[in-house]
Amino acid sequence: MKSYVSILLILITLMSGCSSWGVQPWERNKLAEKKMQLEPAPLDSYLDAHIYYSKESSSGGAGVGGGGCGCN
Amino acid sequence: MQLKKSSSVRKMLAVATTSLLSGMAHSANSSGDNGWEMDSAILYYSEADRISVIEPVVSLRKDIGDENFLNFRFVLDSLTGSSPNGAIKTSTAQTFTTPSGNSNYTTAANETPLDPTFHDTRGALNAEWEMPLNKTTKAIFGANISAEFDYQSLGVSANISWDFNNRNTTLTTGAAYNADTINPVGGVPTGLTAMSASKSSTGSGDNKQVIDLIIGVTQVINRTTLMQFNLNIGTDSGYMTDPYKILSVLDGSGNLRGTDPYLYEKRPDSRTRQALYWKTVMGFSEDVLNLSYRYYWDDWDVSSHTVEMKYRFSLGNKHYLQPEARYYVQDKANFYYYNLVDGALPTYASADYRLADLKTSTLAFKYGIDMGNDSEFSVRLGKMNQTSNGDASFEDVDATFVQLNYRMVF
Amino acid sequence: MRVFSIFILSILLGLSVHASPITSIPLKTDNGNIKLSDFNGTVIYLDFWASWCIPCRKSFPWMNDIQKKFGNKGFKVIAVNLDEEHNKAKAFLDKIPANFTIAYDPDGVSATAFKVKGMPSSYLIDRTGNIISSHIGFREKEIPTMENKIKLLLKK
Repeated sequence: MKSYVSILLILITLMSGCSSWGVQPWERNKLAEKKMQLEPAPLDSYLDAHIYYSKESSSGGAGVGGGGCGCN
Repeated sequence: MQLKKSSSVRKMLAVATTSLLSGMAHSANSSGDNGWEMDSAILYYSEADRISVIEPVVSLRKDIGDENFLNFRFVLDSLTGSSPNGAIKTSTAQTFTTPSGNSNYTTAANETPLDPTFHDTRGALNAEWEMPLNKTTKAIFGANISAEFDYQSLGVSANISWDFNNRNTTLTTGAAYNADTINPVGGVPTGLTAMSASKSSTGSGDNKQVIDLIIGVTQVINRTTLMQFNLNIGTDSGYMTDPYKILSVLDGSGNLRGTDPYLYEKRPDSRTRQALYWKTVMGFSEDVLNLSYRYYWDDWDVSSHTVEMKYRFSLGNKHYLQPEARYYVQDKANFYYYNLVDGALPTYASADYRLADLKTSTLAFKYGIDMGNDSEFSVRLGKMNQTSNGDASFEDVDATFVQLNYRMVF
Repeated sequence: MRVFSIFILSILLGLSVHASPITSIPLKTDNGNIKLSDFNGTVIYLDFWASWCIPCRKSFPWMNDIQKKFGNKGFKVIAVNLDEEHNKAKAFLDKIPANFTIAYDPDGVSATAFKVKGMPSSYLIDRTGNIISSHIGFREKEIPTMENKIKLLLKK
């Protein structure tokens, strides 16, 4: 339980400290490119996760969104 | 007689990946023209002298208006070959009973015992509905179903993401639930009882429930850098033993004991696991670097570090070459044994090398071509090597894989 | 005395820079620079767009439509492109032609001045050069509301 609380605190600190990071809405041209996404090749990631899940004993971690063109 | 049977643990674990960690494209980068986006791939994976897998997969994405999207993914997974059954190699030939009890197979002296009866096909379908809740909030609801000869799985998932700081920061939380049923050939063997044609069985089938929770933050650092930090917590409860795997039991002099030299394995019926994951995407002119690290730990005492790096070299604006490397190191489960020794038995035991101290190294190359009209063809070639990282000296696993991808809109 | 007048002049200059409305910012077009204040007497729909912005692709046919529908009532669409790379803007316009004024601001000077908060962003400016409303994003279901706002301003 204690480790979860510290991890959450780190996440929250990162988030609040992050207002100095970032770009203006019109500066997202590179971030909008397909190759600049967190998952540029979702099927590669899926097939890899499948292989490693059946050859190793770990799992999890990846799989949420964000980044991109930030439109609308 | 060729027995139809699957590597159930592999399948059990594989299904859980389809829910939360679906990896389906969730970015705002669809064509948005009320058309379909299709992404397809076929993987051919082969281990020297062991299993081979052919896996075609296709995913479809449709803009259904008002910023709602539907995502579908269908995968077929066909496995053949042989896999270690958990017994150790000895200086004499060994004979093992097949799970149905109907026949035997033998392993030559000084060879790792491999069960040659692996042959199965699995199909899985995953569907998601992505919908905006308001201008800066989005939800994704998903369902998945998977079936094969001796194994079925059903699952649901829900994710919500919030954008703030001018959409420079995204917070995501998600949950997934999966319920699996297994009906192994010959019934579920009672753990730590003797392997035989008339094995002790706990019944015809068993089940497992998996819950996953995820919380993640994605942050735009600058025009060319993105970073993500996730925490994933999961619990598994139910039947997690591999019904087809055994352990060798040695006597005091290091030979197989006379009576009941092989026992079915037995794993705990619950597992609580955590994964901390960090990833960055960085653009360097037209090149892109993708780097990630994951630390995993659970209450089976398995813990691991995974580092993955991909660098996309842009070769002009029509094609690219991307070398990829992955390094993984794992600490063994507290019930992993290379073999058991005659005497008091532990509560849980498994000789499945995948629970041992091990390292996996992978090197791959991906080459892609832009075919115009938002379509792309790519090919990926890689080699994976797994080796023991501790006292237990199981044989190295060497695998090669080839993957062809095609993506288009219509 | 000379120092004093230079001092006063600089203060006045400084004041005038601060007091200068954003409608005086020059916008570069293919036919030279324009300023919003050049169009006093016209209702202006000012749009900020870029080639990589997906909703912008959907907004162009509508902007063509309103320019055609309301043009003869003293209405003008001005779409400011914020692409860093000019050729990308041109490629977009080749595929999705615009029958309204396009301006180019690759450094985002006007976007900063207008405090653009999302892509695309649009501003409605009345006949006297006042910014009446602003809007972030483009959604087809918001078209009727937008057109009503335009019609209201056109009546004045």
